[in-house]
Amino acid sequence: MNTGQQTTRRLAARAGRSVCWSCKDTLSRKYASAAAAALPTDDQSLQHIPPVAQPSSQDSYGIKTGVVLSRPPQITRDLHPLESAFFLYQRRLNERTALPFTRYFYYKKRTAADLEWKRKIKQRLTPARDIGRYKGYGEESWNDELLMGAKESDIHHQVEKLIEDAEQTGAQDGDEAEPVPGASNSKKEEEKIERPMPRVTEADLKNDVKSLNRQLQRTLYLLVKNQEGRWIFPQDTFAQETLHSAAGRVLTESCGENMHTWVVGNAPIGYYQQDYQNPIKTLSGLRELGAKTFFMKARIMAGQANLEGNKLGLTDFKWLAKEEVQGEVDKSYWHSVKNMLAER
Amino acid sequence: MNFSTFRSVFRPVGSITRFGQATVPRQNAPSIRPSTTPITGTSSFSSTANLQKRKRGGAPTDPRIKAIRYFLYHPLTPRPLHFSRLRYLRHWTIHRAWMLFLRKRRRAEELELERQYNSMRAACEHLRLMDSNGMLVSEAEAGGQGPDAMRLGVKGREVGRLYRAAMIKRGVYGSVPIEYARCQTDFPSRDGWNHEWTRE
Repeated sequence: MNTGQQTTRRLAARAGRSVCWSCKDTLSRKYASAAAAALPTDDQSLQHIPPVAQPSSQDSYGIKTGVVLSRPPQITRDLHPLESAFFLYQRRLNERTALPFTRYFYYKKRTAADLEWKRKIKQRLTPARDIGRYKGYGEESWNDELLMGAKESDIHHQVEKLIEDAEQTGAQDGDEAEPVPGASNSKKEEEKIERPMPRVTEADLKNDVKSLNRQLQRTLYLLVKNQEGRWIFPQDTFAQETLHSAAGRVLTESCGENMHTWVVGNAPIGYYQQDYQNPIKTLSGLRELGAKTFFMKARIMAGQANLEGNKLGLTDFKWLAKEEVQGEVDKSYWHSVKNMLAER
Repeated sequence: MNFSTFRSVFRPVGSITRFGQATVPRQNAPSIRPSTTPITGTSSFSSTANLQKRKRGGAPTDPRIKAIRYFLYHPLTPRPLHFSRLRYLRHWTIHRAWMLFLRKRRRAEELELERQYNSMRAACEHLRLMDSNGMLVSEAEAGGQGPDAMRLGVKGREVGRLYRAAMIKRGVYGSVPIEYARCQTDFPSRDGWNHEWTRE
């Protein structure tokens, strides 16, 4: 019986990474039942065999709180090519079916705004400013589809057109307003409208993983490097607190207080169970078999992590999107963490 | 059709003074009252408005009704789409493709929510069955779940303490910070992320 016990134990010890989860589980369970059966034999072997099947009051798991601190997406997502093409198609088709624009609703007769409208509609033929030149009436009204690869389908072109429209008054050379000296002057004095900032930022180009300005359309997660050199979400043990209050404390103790954060709820969004190779003795005389980390969701609204003088021995941090998190963390960690992270 | 009838309806009150063309007295300006007939001071014996009484040819139609009529019976109102056969086929194909695309995307979003929910649920269930040493107990020894979350099990307060604390809903919805209401824009802000934010 002892030999059988030995072999199962050896198997279980050898079954490090090469044996799959469920097989490892069965092996350890067999071993545990054998140990439970072997209990009354002798005292010396009893000390070496951790009885797992009947968890005695000697065993314990360390309980930790992890904080999944995330920066929400700042800008809208990139449109799928089908989406952008479909939206443009629908907008042009709308020009074909919509009622004519009633100028008198929006502009008072013979005002500057009315004259400007008349000039502009003569140029672009349609009330919409960014869908290209198309007239929904008359002979050419059937021709609302754009050809493939037309410049109007480019989002940058559309934005340019919108800005252009806001900048100009529609006055051209050869207009009746041209001979008036005041009008031509005013055309030159048009104030420049600020261009929008690019959606790909400097931090993206430099791949600066510490900046919160990167990957603006994605949720970024804060990963820290602990003493052992593993990348994890910030975590710490706790005793008498609740998960919510412990999460707030972990954030301040790990990344400093200069972050405007909000711990979203009282309930955890996921957990990670780590089993130690060799159980360790805790101060209270219990045998710790592993650690369980419960993750709390938190959001950051302003500020930046600062690891100087943190109490958890962290050495580095990164702001990463979901796929990038996968590249950094352990396989088992990723396995238990991936489902709670948002795709976008 | 005389368009000047519409002008007074949709012109804001402030614009009267701005353009300096306020030939219409203030009383004649459109009333903001919800009733359809503008009543501007009635005499004690008549229920008809003074201004209406003065005009010949009966009560004038409400300008809003005029506007509705104008749009309903616009000469270009029925604008049916006439597609050629090939164009119709193309349109149908585009429509089907869009529907498929939407369905795929919705399914993906649904699955993502489901994954997140299951992750949360597994964590909460683990908390419920966990005693103060972090070991799991059997279902019989654990407390209640769901709406019955505060019920203690056989082992008493030792089991599921964190679960009961996590199930407290008080103050959860009142704690949302105002910055959280920021919506996504098409282009980022000029200043970017506020890295220099400090707690006062």
